[in-house]
Amino acid sequence: MIDFLIGLTAILGTCITYVFSLYVHKRWNVTITAPVIISTVLIICVLLIFQIPYETYMLGGQWIDHLLGPAVVALAYPLYMQRHTLRELLIPLLVGTSLGAVVGISSGVLMAKWAGFEESIIYALTPKSVTTPVAMAVTENLGGIIPLAAVFVMFAGIGGVLIHNLVFRLFRLDHYLGRGVGMGSASHAIGTATLMEDSQLAGSVSTVAMVISAVVVSVIAPALIFLLL
Amino acid sequence: MLNIGKIILHTIVLIVFYQVGMLIQNTFNLFVPGSVIGMILLFIFLSLKVVKITWIENGARFIVDNLALFFIPVTVGVLDYYEVFAGIGSLLILIALISTMLVMGISGATSQLLIKRRAEEHD
Repeated sequence: MIDFLIGLTAILGTCITYVFSLYVHKRWNVTITAPVIISTVLIICVLLIFQIPYETYMLGGQWIDHLLGPAVVALAYPLYMQRHTLRELLIPLLVGTSLGAVVGISSGVLMAKWAGFEESIIYALTPKSVTTPVAMAVTENLGGIIPLAAVFVMFAGIGGVLIHNLVFRLFRLDHYLGRGVGMGSASHAIGTATLMEDSQLAGSVSTVAMVISAVVVSVIAPALIFLLL
Repeated sequence: MLNIGKIILHTIVLIVFYQVGMLIQNTFNLFVPGSVIGMILLFIFLSLKVVKITWIENGARFIVDNLALFFIPVTVGVLDYYEVFAGIGSLLILIALISTMLVMGISGATSQLLIKRRAEEHD
């Protein structure tokens, strides 16, 4: 009974914090105010102040966590809505995104290996370019630290938004396809949202690239890791 | 109220696809996450019109729009791992950034090259 009440409080608390963070993000609308960042920081603060262990919070948190899998399934919806973009640009989209997936996994893994980090951390770094729920599933399969995977995904997303103008100039990405594929492959939903503000067209491409990238990374990550480590 | 009912019903359809995906993953011992298999299945079924978009759209849109809510409980878990980023660990941030830059540039440049070449052939 007590567990149930604690769980319910955790769920309600998480939802309220999330709604509050949406409001904050709408008000300031900068990358760093992304709802997931504000909510995470706020909840961590509450847990630390009241000295609540993470396991206790997860009595409720796990119920929200159960919806992560169905949330990945839901990504079929934006992909289906962009099916015309997908069909028309299939080859350039597939080739660019797949190459991006290989570059993302191998560059991250090799640099972390040379720097001497342990495997559970490297496995968390591996899927950083894909959307959080998929990255977590990939890291879980590899045997890495799952919450760390989410943090690396944030680095890739926010980092990508901060450096995208520089990268666009450096690699001469002036076409909406190049920009969309680059952003979607490297910085998933966070990058896609930013690009959507500049151009609907590039944003649609980015959406498709993000979903394809999630599929490609989850398929090739285990084999590629085996080769690299 | 009707909308909430729809969201719940549509989410149940998504859960079914997720469970089928998990079943496939476990049956064939695949490394691909069951959730990703479920997503591919749903996309195929939507494309073949076996599943109508009206069966999932409210639930799917609600979830995709609020994706962050569903992984907040896991990201809070980083609280037990903050020491990873102390000292030499801060190098991980730099690694993630460099790698992100390479992914963005190389994937984008490749697609752009292919589409521009295609445009030239049509001229």
